[in-house]
Amino acid sequence: MTNLDKYNEAFINAFGVESSQLEELAYQSIAEWDSVGHMGLIAGLEDAFDIMLETDDIVDFSSYEKGKEILKKYSIDGV
Amino acid sequence: MSENKGFSLDPVQLQEYQPNRYPFLMIDYVEEVIPGVSAKGYKNLTLNEWYFPEHFPGAPNMPGALQLEALAQMLTVAITTLPGNKGKVVHGLSHTVRFKKEVLPGDKLVIETNVLSWKRGIAIGKGVGYTNDEIAVEADMTISIPDLLKQFLPAKSDGTK
Repeated sequence: MTNLDKYNEAFINAFGVESSQLEELAYQSIAEWDSVGHMGLIAGLEDAFDIMLETDDIVDFSSYEKGKEILKKYSIDGV
Repeated sequence: MSENKGFSLDPVQLQEYQPNRYPFLMIDYVEEVIPGVSAKGYKNLTLNEWYFPEHFPGAPNMPGALQLEALAQMLTVAITTLPGNKGKVVHGLSHTVRFKKEVLPGDKLVIETNVLSWKRGIAIGKGVGYTNDEIAVEADMTISIPDLLKQFLPAKSDGTK
């Protein structure tokens, strides 16, 4: 499984969305990505990549695309 | 107060860690709370409880929603006794509850709750309520301290959290 696969799977598991929806996803853009959903997504990503996101990065993690930029700071390539 | 050591809270003391008041305080006594880990105690029920005359006339039993509330209030104490959380408002986020038997006037509802995770303002926990040594109610609960949770949230499109 590639890093992109793991990244996508975290969103699909957290929000129950289809892969075709991923690129458009942003915080509060769907009912499932609310405050609780956000914490579930972050926890899923931390587990998947064995990292601990810093508070500023959790706050900045406002969309599917923005999250890709943030993960690069943690040496997660290929997302 | 040590973070990992258990202690008890009498009815007056527990109000420092549990903001609900009459008629909505659903726990009487915390026999042992280990902050961030667990809380157990009880609620004694007499026929004087405010809900029994109406729930139901001739067949009084504790409303299921209030049984769940009792479990959630006990779990709350396990979180609000953590350093920095005293006096914080706690909200329920999602609960799955199973009712096994009626809770009746004269019963002692013994409540045991355990924190399964506490992270970034969200606690996931499990609670079980017993009467006469039998499970009456059990619930999987998620509660939050909004003050802490919002520190980790992106801004909405209108700039609010």
